Amino acid sequence: MKLLGKSLLELKKLLEDKEISNKELRDYFLKRVRKYNPALNSLITVSSEKAHPTGVPLAIKDNFCTKGIRTTASSKVLDNFIPPYESTVTQRLLNHGLSILGKTNLDAWAHGSSTETSDYGPTKNPWDLSRVPGGSSGGSAAAVSAYISPAAIGSETAGSIRGPAAWCGVVGLKPTYSRVSRYGVIAMGSSLDCPGPLTQNIEDAAYLLGIIAGKDLYDATTSSLPAQNYLKELNLKNKLTIGVTDEYFEGVDAETKRMVDKSIAIFKKNGHKIKKIKLLSPQYAISVYTIIQRAEVSSNLGRYDGIRYGNARNYFADEAKRRVMLGTYTLSYGYYDAYYKKAQKVRTLIIEDFKNVFKDVDVIVAPTMPTSAFRLGEFEKYPFFGELMDVLAEPGAVSGIPAISIPIGLDAKNLPVGLQIMGNYFNEQTILSLAYQFEKETNYFGVIKKGFANYKD
Amino acid sequence: MSDYTPIIGLEIHVELKTRSKMFCQCPADHFAKKPNTQTCPVCLGLPGALPVPNKKAVDWAILLGLALNCKVSHESKFDRKNYFYPDLPKGYQISQYDQPLSTDGYLNIDGKRFKIHRVHLEEDTGKLLHVGTDTLIDFNRSGVPLVEIVTEPDFHDSEDVKRFLEELHTIVRYLGISDADMEKGSMRLEPNISVSLNINELPNYKVEVKNINSFRYVRNAIDFEVKRQIELLEKSEKPKQETRGYDEKKQTTYSQRSKEEAQDYRYFPEPDIPPMVFKEEYINKIKSNLPELPSAKLNRYVEKFNLKKQDAYTLSRDINVANKFETVLKIQVSDNIKPADIANVILNKKDRSSLTVEEIKEEVKKRKQPIHTDEKILALIIDQTLKSNPKVVEDYKKGRENAIMFLVGIVMREMKGRADAKLVIDKLKSRIEKLNAKS
Amino acid sequence: MKKKILTKEEILHLAKLANLKLTEKEIEKYCKQLEETVEFVENLNELPTGKVKPTSQTTNLTNVFFADGEKSKRTFESAKATENAKSKKDGYFVVKRIM
Repeated sequence: MKLLGKSLLELKKLLEDKEISNKELRDYFLKRVRKYNPALNSLITVSSEKAHPTGVPLAIKDNFCTKGIRTTASSKVLDNFIPPYESTVTQRLLNHGLSILGKTNLDAWAHGSSTETSDYGPTKNPWDLSRVPGGSSGGSAAAVSAYISPAAIGSETAGSIRGPAAWCGVVGLKPTYSRVSRYGVIAMGSSLDCPGPLTQNIEDAAYLLGIIAGKDLYDATTSSLPAQNYLKELNLKNKLTIGVTDEYFEGVDAETKRMVDKSIAIFKKNGHKIKKIKLLSPQYAISVYTIIQRAEVSSNLGRYDGIRYGNARNYFADEAKRRVMLGTYTLSYGYYDAYYKKAQKVRTLIIEDFKNVFKDVDVIVAPTMPTSAFRLGEFEKYPFFGELMDVLAEPGAVSGIPAISIPIGLDAKNLPVGLQIMGNYFNEQTILSLAYQFEKETNYFGVIKKGFANYKD
Repeated sequence: MSDYTPIIGLEIHVELKTRSKMFCQCPADHFAKKPNTQTCPVCLGLPGALPVPNKKAVDWAILLGLALNCKVSHESKFDRKNYFYPDLPKGYQISQYDQPLSTDGYLNIDGKRFKIHRVHLEEDTGKLLHVGTDTLIDFNRSGVPLVEIVTEPDFHDSEDVKRFLEELHTIVRYLGISDADMEKGSMRLEPNISVSLNINELPNYKVEVKNINSFRYVRNAIDFEVKRQIELLEKSEKPKQETRGYDEKKQTTYSQRSKEEAQDYRYFPEPDIPPMVFKEEYINKIKSNLPELPSAKLNRYVEKFNLKKQDAYTLSRDINVANKFETVLKIQVSDNIKPADIANVILNKKDRSSLTVEEIKEEVKKRKQPIHTDEKILALIIDQTLKSNPKVVEDYKKGRENAIMFLVGIVMREMKGRADAKLVIDKLKSRIEKLNAKS
Repeated sequence: MKKKILTKEEILHLAKLANLKLTEKEIEKYCKQLEETVEFVENLNELPTGKVKPTSQTTNLTNVFFADGEKSKRTFESAKATENAKSKKDGYFVVKRIM
């Protein structure tokens, strides 16, 4: 049977209907791992068949603790760490009969936007091996894009799901902060971290969100609002008001801008109302994010002392040390009010800004990234390059609202471009439904299928 | 003697005896357990683990705040206190910084008021064991709920400190929130000591003394420190700001580490735990669980029951003893029993805690019941006694009233106490008169 | 926030607080990068925030607790806790003597 490009839900049905065996399915993906992973470096650990013999196999970002499967956050500090417990997200996936194919590469500790800062080498963009996949969930995006895995789980602090999804030409959903449990996810920015799915289509994203969302007694910050059956309600029932703001097109590459405009025209054609809105410049969100995230990182990396697990602190690579140093500085005596507290206050302004706008519009659309994927090595050249690349993701991240990135075509370099739809708090259903309508209408201009074409069986 | 006044503030840590730890469900009772067998991803600080606070620990910390006359904060939160030490698994301790559970309380001791700055909740660290060239770490204690009570620097006398700590210890035990066992480290005392020529002026240094495990040692440590510091100042040397330990054998303090480089804990709000909001009704509900506190009990015993102050004090020290006292009081064992009678029964026993209500009742009854006297036996014993003590009888007849008491003593002994003393006197007197009349 | 020039001593103090050992080259590098970052985030001062309440989390949740005495499903069975440790002895984690 030809399996290439089958969605997670399609594979699940094949298994349920006994059209294919668990072993056949797993072997199929293991074969693809062997064939394509050496060039892409998308998975850094393949889980043993013994541990996960049944269910559709998924690729899990290597910052989710998986019981008995090495978990490194792509840092040599955790080189041989075998978690004695399972993260809530992976536990829920396993409970739903899914399995873990392996663990995907990321920027070490999720610190980055290119997956180049991994201590296990960079992941390559499946569309062009000389380019980065984006980050930090680069391994997860590349795995889906090259069909090494039918779907993947990533995590986003600010752009780490949406960014690589856009650059690898797949769907990436960042849920509302507190919608999905962080228990067992190696903490980066604790007030920002959000686990979420990377998939080939909206149905798979809705299905996975339905599994992983919901209250977790082990994460005090999870919302007690019940998770919905996102899959069941995908068909949009009414016309939406879609907000568009000039601030999110500043500094965006002309081709990306043109492609986003074209997509906006499609929304309009489908009967939605486009409304010009005004938002605070995303430049403020970059600063807020930089301060808060570094501060939380400096504290979150405190536990890695090499005593109870892992290696000593001299195994931290450059990026982690840089972030810890800055976070230590902004939290230290005499500077707290000027930096950390100020950032927390501006964070409030950004939240209020979104709340006001969502009184008038149902969703906001914008480019996901200012450009398509960069070449390897570009990020190192400029300070804050990562932050600047994530500029359009950061306001949503610091405010905690949900957003999805979907492919909207290929640019002149034959690289995917993404559009993001941001929604109000806990309104994942609306952004999924609007994206679903778009998918039905355009099939993402064939981006996903074209991606698989380079990775034949 | 010098004109220096000691200025002393206290930091007291009390481990709560909740069943679970502060931020996970592991058992909080860590005493004498196999190392690291009461740990989980949370209290071991594994990657990705998250804290969820224990409600009872929060309620108990509020209860203690209320018992110490504090204002309970309507909004409170946890913060991270960042520092590195091998017994601290996360590289930060979850504590409270600028919004403690309660603030601004006081405790009155013998008419003096000592102000309490704050009462907050935090987690305990693991335990270190230094053996040979190794330091061994056990995280069973990691994450056990710990209440920190910080007083104002209101103390100028080591005896006041001792009394204050004894009172606090009694209150904590009254509330039933901790064993407050200093040997086991479930109550830890840290005085901050400095001396000043001006009582209203805080000196620009303070010495913190740690590892003290009795109230008496706290007093001794303070006395030693005050003397040491005054001696330094009189030589025009400023005492170093430092942490010192207490050597109970030598009754001296010794330098542990100096805080020349100021600690910078980089506190910030714990992003993993949503803030806490306490409405007035909620605080009142906790308040309604406050038992009558030892000082109030003492006053009531004196005022309402006419007990001697020292007796009332002794009775009210242990809530179990006080409860037994009051239970027996309510039972109405028999008529004409005074509270002091019950108190005496309890106070006369050495082991007051094992005394049961039933035993107290019986004892009181025995002491107070009008004794049924077997008059036939009494008559026989009186006759015998008079016969064998003719000289005493003669003395009595000669008008020595005291002599009769000697005879009463003998009769009572023979009756093994089962006779009413007044009856014995009457019978003795009338018998002597009868015999006198006959002869 | 005026541009702050960080001294080597300050960088070393921060490194000490963060429990990191830095090489001379790193000290120089982080000194420069820290200054750049501080400069970079200065735009926040363009926004007046006088009476604005700080946001430390976006959940709007309050009072999330667990009930004391709940059964622990996570407490490790013996030896599991020290499984990943490099240095252990008789159930203890071990470091070089610190006192």
